Amino acid sequence: MNNSLKALIESLIFVSQEPVTLAQLGTIVEGVEAAEIEAAIEDLIREYEAEGRGIHIIRAGGGWLYSTKPAHDREVRRLLQIERKNRLSSAGLETLAAIAYRQPVTQSEVSAIRGVDSTGALKTLLEKKLIKIVGRKKAPGNPLVYRTSDEFLLYLGLDSLDGLPSEAEIAKILEEEKAVEAEP
Amino acid sequence: MPETPVEEAPPVEDASVPPSAEAASDGYQVRLDVFEGPLDLLLFLIRKKKIDIHDIPIAAITRDYLGYLDRKTEINLDREAEFVFIAALLIYIKSQMLLPRETDLAEHEDPRRVLIDRLVEYEKVKAACSLLREREDVQILQWKRDFIPPLHGESELEPVELSLFDLAESFFRMMKRREADDTRVIRGRDVPIEVKMKELVTLLQERHVLDFLEYFESHASLEEALVSFFCILELVKSRVAVAVQDELFQTIRVWLRKDPHRTAAHE
Repeated sequence: MNNSLKALIESLIFVSQEPVTLAQLGTIVEGVEAAEIEAAIEDLIREYEAEGRGIHIIRAGGGWLYSTKPAHDREVRRLLQIERKNRLSSAGLETLAAIAYRQPVTQSEVSAIRGVDSTGALKTLLEKKLIKIVGRKKAPGNPLVYRTSDEFLLYLGLDSLDGLPSEAEIAKILEEEKAVEAEP
Repeated sequence: MPETPVEEAPPVEDASVPPSAEAASDGYQVRLDVFEGPLDLLLFLIRKKKIDIHDIPIAAITRDYLGYLDRKTEINLDREAEFVFIAALLIYIKSQMLLPRETDLAEHEDPRRVLIDRLVEYEKVKAACSLLREREDVQILQWKRDFIPPLHGESELEPVELSLFDLAESFFRMMKRREADDTRVIRGRDVPIEVKMKELVTLLQERHVLDFLEYFESHASLEEALVSFFCILELVKSRVAVAVQDELFQTIRVWLRKDPHRTAAHE
């Protein structure tokens, strides 16, 4: 294993606040095969996953970035003086899921899926930067069209939208729920 | 809720809650506001009765549904309208099913189709939510570098003298950007400053650091952006928040002061 390549990549991932992509690394580390870069990253990831390390490299939003390990959440928050990180409300999550699967969508389409007016939830998601406005639909009233953002991928630790739970996984959950209910 | 023209079917499993059975003996009381919306309630009823979603006995479900509607504890017109809309849809479907027809309907002409499609889709979204929630729960414990707000202690900057003009400057820049947007929107909704203030404080608590310009741009209307600008001024003035600009013409970052008393007093 090329140790200097590994060290170089480590520093590049470290300085970036956003996921570093393979393409970015490729342009900086000239003359090295993509496969070799990936192998170096895999190696780094393994090293960080080992016991005794507080941070690790995760794959999200199409690239790699550093994050602290979940076990240290409480202490990290104490340092930052943050009470807790709020989860999304169930209305927020539902709206986000509807957008994630049906994008690009308008407010009224999201509301129709949920059977509930979603204007407020959309606004909150926009402010949290989990969704973005990508334009207007050529339809009566020219409604705004929404998509999930790159922050959305990072927020849920997804590499791309392909990482969203698949039809099959969803069907499995539904099966399980029904099985539980069928029991007396 | 007035009597509803639902077909006279024999009472179904009677433990389902009739409209006036507040003190029903089954003790199974669920308040309407635990449901995300009418579809959530319908799904709950369908599962409770172990009904096949593709073959819903409309009359029975409508009766249960209206029963829940009647047990509402408070009146919220917007929310109620959504529940009533689905009630109307249920009754409409039943009426379609009762209409005599010359020929039998093919399966795809089932009047229930429109409802079934919505329920199936909604059910999938709900299931996806539970999977996404699992992911969120893991991710939320991992701190990425861009989520980390600056640490600041004793040397906290004195914001007012420093950045009032900068705030104004940013504000005018924002106005200019808005001008470029020549869409004409007619809006009737007023945004009270108190409401916006609460929203902003909650957002600051959650996000820890707010990018001022980006925050502006997330507003759909100029009025709302203006109100949020005043809120920030007010928060800075009352020393609840700090606004810092690193360089001229750069964006302004805003965060809450770490002084619980002041923050609490403000809420």
